[in-house]
Amino acid sequence: MSIIELRGLRKHYGTFHAVDGLDLTVEPGDIYGFLGPNGAGKSTSIRMMMSLIRPTGGTIRIFGKSIETHREDILRRIGAIVERPDFYNYLTARHNLELLGRMSGADVSRGNLLRVLGIVGLDHRADSKVKTFSHGMKQRLGIAQALLHDPDLIVLDEPTTGLDPQGMKDIRDLILSLRSEHRKTIFLSSHILPEVELTANRMIVINRGKAVVEGAVQDLLNAGRLKVTIATPQANEAAVLLRQTHADANLQVADGVIVMMAERADIAHIVGHLTQSGISIERVVPVRSLEEYFLSLTSEAANA
Amino acid sequence: MRDLLLMLRVELSKVFSKWRTFIGFIALGLLVPIIVVAMRAEGVSYFAFATQAVKDVFEFRGNLLNGYTVALIIMSTMFVHVPFLATLVAGDMLAGEATGGTYRLVFTRPVKRSTVVTAKWIASMLTTLMLIAWLALLSFGLGIPLLGTGEVVNIRSMITVLAADDVLWRFAWAYGIASLGMMTVSSVAFLLSSLVENAIGPIMTTMAILIVFTIISAIDLPIFGTLRPLFFTNHMIAWRFMFDDPVPWARIYTSIGVLVGHIITCFIATQIIIRRKDILT
Repeated sequence: MSIIELRGLRKHYGTFHAVDGLDLTVEPGDIYGFLGPNGAGKSTSIRMMMSLIRPTGGTIRIFGKSIETHREDILRRIGAIVERPDFYNYLTARHNLELLGRMSGADVSRGNLLRVLGIVGLDHRADSKVKTFSHGMKQRLGIAQALLHDPDLIVLDEPTTGLDPQGMKDIRDLILSLRSEHRKTIFLSSHILPEVELTANRMIVINRGKAVVEGAVQDLLNAGRLKVTIATPQANEAAVLLRQTHADANLQVADGVIVMMAERADIAHIVGHLTQSGISIERVVPVRSLEEYFLSLTSEAANA
Repeated sequence: MRDLLLMLRVELSKVFSKWRTFIGFIALGLLVPIIVVAMRAEGVSYFAFATQAVKDVFEFRGNLLNGYTVALIIMSTMFVHVPFLATLVAGDMLAGEATGGTYRLVFTRPVKRSTVVTAKWIASMLTTLMLIAWLALLSFGLGIPLLGTGEVVNIRSMITVLAADDVLWRFAWAYGIASLGMMTVSSVAFLLSSLVENAIGPIMTTMAILIVFTIISAIDLPIFGTLRPLFFTNHMIAWRFMFDDPVPWARIYTSIGVLVGHIITCFIATQIIIRRKDILT
């Protein structure tokens, strides 16, 4: 049974199609990256999944049940941050968690609240009012409230926004441990591409409310041409040779380093060709950043 | 039922963690003692002024300026300030969640939206009832020790003098009817609170409705005469009839019916609005 199944999901505001026939499937144990530029329809999709807004059409099934008919059963098993981490600013962090935990049927004993606050590094500020918190601290508190009732599915909408680099790494590590140690399924919406690259095993890219591509992160990273960096003391000679065989490689040379585009399968041939021609190679680094891929996909979709 | 009680506990916890909730209680806590002490100091001249028009016809004897009379005078002021104090809480109940962005937190919990709305409505009504109870407690708790008890002189279109042992049950009914009036005001503010994303709007709009309806009710034109029975403001003051003799029960029951009708209508309308609402804040 899939954890999340969206089929033909649509949300229209008059003539504006915020989400337009979105299909996706999240399997148990996935860390599922949900990528898209601003305004792509990510938050609208999440709001429909969380029953905050009504779809114009399509179906949402979570844990095999329709959100329309089994809303409470489904929400009992989901922990979520939806967009900004807003709380009751006039209450303390612990009081906020206590109230939200009660609504979710969580253990709201002081010990459990402090334990969850400890996971996100806020246990020392448990009794501070939330109005004194920075954005990053509210973000951490948002994750704490999502974990409080030990849900099976965790939906995180831009969870590292506003965090410093160490905070971002902590959250990434937490996401990975939630899957590996606690067998949680995680739906991770983000526009920070390395975050998805470093954590997710599967992902979808959406743009203008439609899916552009979906699949395993590694497959998507390996698809198509890569940027290949070749370091050699004979860079200029190597460049001449490569321009003869790879005229469309967009080859550039700078400081003893060649940067070119190539198919992954072609890299071994390139290296063999250079060494047979007497070029000594110090290192070859094939780079396929999700960022480049993402930008190429979304610009293609925008131009379509 | 379990969910409703749980949500009610959550809502009351939130309501009584907010500073604005106590504004009403503090305001009454200042206003009522000032009135009672002022009545003790200068109540005789106040009473003489109030009975000026009939002083040549009637002779008043006995302790007419007593705790009961002062409680009645204080109740008469309720129409002025308690509605505003009640809307401070009710107007913020739903709009406050929109302003703070916390609708997302509340409506992603495994609790029905209708249960959340019902709990919030009950919390609003309880706060309103607590305000009225606080008003009664202060009026009697200060008025009787400082001014004693005695007959109540009710001067309206006719003068009614009620024996001391005939007033407590009337006060009980009067506070009950006044509570229904204030619950109506709170319910209107609660309904308006479901429509907007800022608490100021519902509070100001409710007060504007009260003022407009009251002004229209006060103008004695035939066209307004047909509208008047429809305005809840006209029925909020029905508690005053409890101090007439005999008590006009038919009119009081009509007013109770109209007020309860308004409360139920506002509650159901709020439920429908929230049920259909897309949470975009």
